[in-house]
Amino acid sequence: MIKIFRKILSLIQGHITVFKHSFKKRVTLEYPEVKPVIPERFRGKPDWYGNKCIGCKLCEKVCPAFAVTVDKLNDNINFKIDLSKCILCGNCMYNCPKSAIKLTSDFELATDLKENLIVNKNSKDELYE
Amino acid sequence: MSNIMKINIGPQHPSTHGVLRLITELDGEEIISIEPVVGYLHRGLEKLAENRSYLQYLPMVDRIDYLGGFFTSYAYCNCVEHLLNCVVPKRAEYIRVLCMELNRIASHLLWLGTFMLDLGASSPLFYCFRDREIILSLFEELTGQRMMYNYFVFGGVRFDVTNEWLNKVSDFIVKFPQCISDYEKIITKNPIFTDRTVNKGILSKNVALQYSVTGPNLRASGMDLDFRKSNPYSVYDKLDFVPAVNHLCDSYGRYLVRIAEMKSSVDIVKQVVRYLKENNGDISANIKAINLKVQEGEYTSYVESSRGLLCCYLRADGSGKPYRVKWRTGSYYAVQVLPQIAKNVNYNDLIAIFGSLDVIMPEVDK
Ligand code: SF4
Ligand code: SF4
Repeated sequence: MIKIFRKILSLIQGHITVFKHSFKKRVTLEYPEVKPVIPERFRGKPDWYGNKCIGCKLCEKVCPAFAVTVDKLNDNINFKIDLSKCILCGNCMYNCPKSAIKLTSDFELATDLKENLIVNKNSKDELYE
Repeated sequence: MSNIMKINIGPQHPSTHGVLRLITELDGEEIISIEPVVGYLHRGLEKLAENRSYLQYLPMVDRIDYLGGFFTSYAYCNCVEHLLNCVVPKRAEYIRVLCMELNRIASHLLWLGTFMLDLGASSPLFYCFRDREIILSLFEELTGQRMMYNYFVFGGVRFDVTNEWLNKVSDFIVKFPQCISDYEKIITKNPIFTDRTVNKGILSKNVALQYSVTGPNLRASGMDLDFRKSNPYSVYDKLDFVPAVNHLCDSYGRYLVRIAEMKSSVDIVKQVVRYLKENNGDISANIKAINLKVQEGEYTSYVESSRGLLCCYLRADGSGKPYRVKWRTGSYYAVQVLPQIAKNVNYNDLIAIFGSLDVIMPEVDK
């Protein structure tokens, strides 16, 4: 008898706790309308600044997924990054001597075309932009 | 006529926490035998190390256990540091411990939520994820990512913690015990929960030792083996905490151990935050990680991760790439012991027992 009473009591206690929680502040976001606050260090889509890059190929060397390719022809540097391979680890950003790569706060990388995932940039285009 | 029926559970099953296949033989509703089939999530993480430099492999180790990236990172960094004979600054070690303990809490919270969902309770799942979210946001602010941190580097950590960040951690740690007591109010004495866990999935100490089960699963079987206490690594010998142990041996015991472990992690985090606020210092030994060459030798590091003993064996041959990396992870052994502890139980209880072992499939298959 006492056992049953205890069981019921614990169930009631649980329900009271759950009931109390229903008055707490909402923690979810209505995502596409309300965007989350992105911290400064967040590692999203990599961006490359052609005017800073010296073509040392270190980023190519440290990338675990072999996602970056840097080609240097005279003064013209071609930078290619395959986002479908990139694991957003930030190694390239942390090890670039000239801070020419930055992983931006852009986290919405979904796309329906694979070509969109390949970022091809040239230092010439950067100058005209 | 034999009544034995073979049922195939998984590999795509919501309750196997990943892709695990269980070939079960049933007599009516009673389980006669189980054969776990693992390997569906094999990514070759050990082999991948052999054609990558030490630095290139570093971000990958976070992926071995996606709920405990800091533990695997620490194990790997510790191996490399040991072979380089490098001394890690005190402050860096404290930051590492802080990260690992918060990671342990986050990992246990996810376990608690999904375990309760396996048993059919959905409220705790939301509460656990809500509180885990706070930890993940803290990590995101510190490291830049929520799960794949790439934050530990050879010889230290990548960024220093700010006082502002530490204050946020303190705020969380002050509030968190109240959250745990809320979970306990909902779960611990709930008759529906106790009926399904008490005396279910008995894992005796002997069987646990025979199968090398470690971590909370072993401690719930009455064996006081916590590598943070028995073989202190990092700065754990300077911290004051009590590892959680109990002798219940069942699913309920494993639940109690993990709840108690979250509380002891809270104690550790408090001490570490106090230290970090009072002491300044270097955060890295400034090892040049690009073109890093490690002298010949081998080393095994031991880490008490949230799912048991985690070992990283590293053999270096003097070149810029690891010669061999081998991982020993806790979950693998927890899966192997399942056929023993789920023998002759009702089919309904299988998922509850399996859930109580806290198995993460990527850690099993690597
Ligand atoms: S490491 Fe930096 S400077 Fe060197 S090639 Fe890459 S982006 Fe350019
Ligand atoms: S973030 Fe990592 S995976 Fe992506 S390009 Fe840079 S180094 Fe390669």
